[in-house]
Amino acid sequence: MAFADGELDGTARAAVEAAMREDPEVEKRVAQHRALRQRIEKAYAAELSEPVPERLVIAANRAPTASGNNVVDLVSVRDSKARAAAGAQPRGSWWRPLGAIAASVIIGFALGYGGRHQSSSPLIRGAEGAVVASGELAQALSHQLSAEQSSTAAVKIGVSFLAKSGDYCRTFSLSGSASPSGLACRHDQEWRIQALSQPSGAAESDTAYRTAGSGMSPAILKAVEEQISGEPLDPTAESAARSTGWKAAR
Amino acid sequence: MNTSETSQNIHAQIVSLLPRLRRFARNLTRNPHDADDVVQIAVERALLRLDQWHRDARLDSWMFKIVRNAWIDELRSRARRDKIFLAEEAGENVGTEPIEKESALMSVQAAMARLPEDQRMAVSLVLIEGLPYKEAAEVLEVPIGTLTSRLARGREALQGLLGAEG
Repeated sequence: MAFADGELDGTARAAVEAAMREDPEVEKRVAQHRALRQRIEKAYAAELSEPVPERLVIAANRAPTASGNNVVDLVSVRDSKARAAAGAQPRGSWWRPLGAIAASVIIGFALGYGGRHQSSSPLIRGAEGAVVASGELAQALSHQLSAEQSSTAAVKIGVSFLAKSGDYCRTFSLSGSASPSGLACRHDQEWRIQALSQPSGAAESDTAYRTAGSGMSPAILKAVEEQISGEPLDPTAESAARSTGWKAAR
Repeated sequence: MNTSETSQNIHAQIVSLLPRLRRFARNLTRNPHDADDVVQIAVERALLRLDQWHRDARLDSWMFKIVRNAWIDELRSRARRDKIFLAEEAGENVGTEPIEKESALMSVQAAMARLPEDQRMAVSLVLIEGLPYKEAAEVLEVPIGTLTSRLARGREALQGLLGAEG
């Protein structure tokens, strides 16, 4: 095999060549190896002449972004793909880290959902540099158990978990056609919003990438993955955490 | 050669490797969409870590290794995601999507797809991508003896699946 693959140096090669001359069986096996190799090479040659997707060429020509925290994974690649597919106008990330969530998004979010639910105050408000849940959303985060929610609830709780920071965090989604979803963590008696998928038409194109059944965008999933410590809470642990008021066990 | 020339050069070299990276990634992931995604990730990572590439090392081997590691990371992250959400997503992603080819070539690809991953990777790197044993062993991070035994078993299996006429 090594001979057929051209891996042998002078002496060893000469020895195999001698063996081939003397033993037709050896010769046959070498010929078989070579034939197989050629057949495989041929079968895969066509793939090399396929056009390469433009995004790969662009990626190869891009200067590396120097930012220290450069996590690239399939989720972000797919986000960028979905964005590229959604239209010419680059509109930036449809999900941003908390610090960068545009004010307009939060206002739109608060108005859009606050307005629909007659009684409620805004679901999200700014508070001393943080964005926290309020109104119906805060209520649901504090009291609703994932196993006991009705399918018509305005706020649906997804997964609850203990974060690396020691805080309890829960994912949520809101009813409605755009069904934004987010991640909130309990800190200083408040539910701080850690991540939010943008509740606009822009998010629609990403529907295909949402995790089936969870109603959650990949960006939220990614935020969960980054923060979770261990496994998500099971219903018993979830209920126990609620009874302590989601007080972090530090 | 100054640094900027070198770096321009490296972009061009990576672009010229793209077809092979895609081909390798398809054998790795057995899914053309995953393959392109994983190549994109690998290209981005490689550009970030150019300082880790030794100029006397082969760029193709180095890139194959990054592609493979990116795929391993992705599989881990999927396993974790599936644990968090018991959704159907896993099924969708794991499903193999054979690359359509005319039937004569299909049989080679179909036979490849049946090989266990270890053997498929050895065959892919040595017989398709043409790496020397030593380079292939480094990409897969195994001793050369392990590589050659996987290659031998893979060859034998392919010979059996494709028929003796070769």
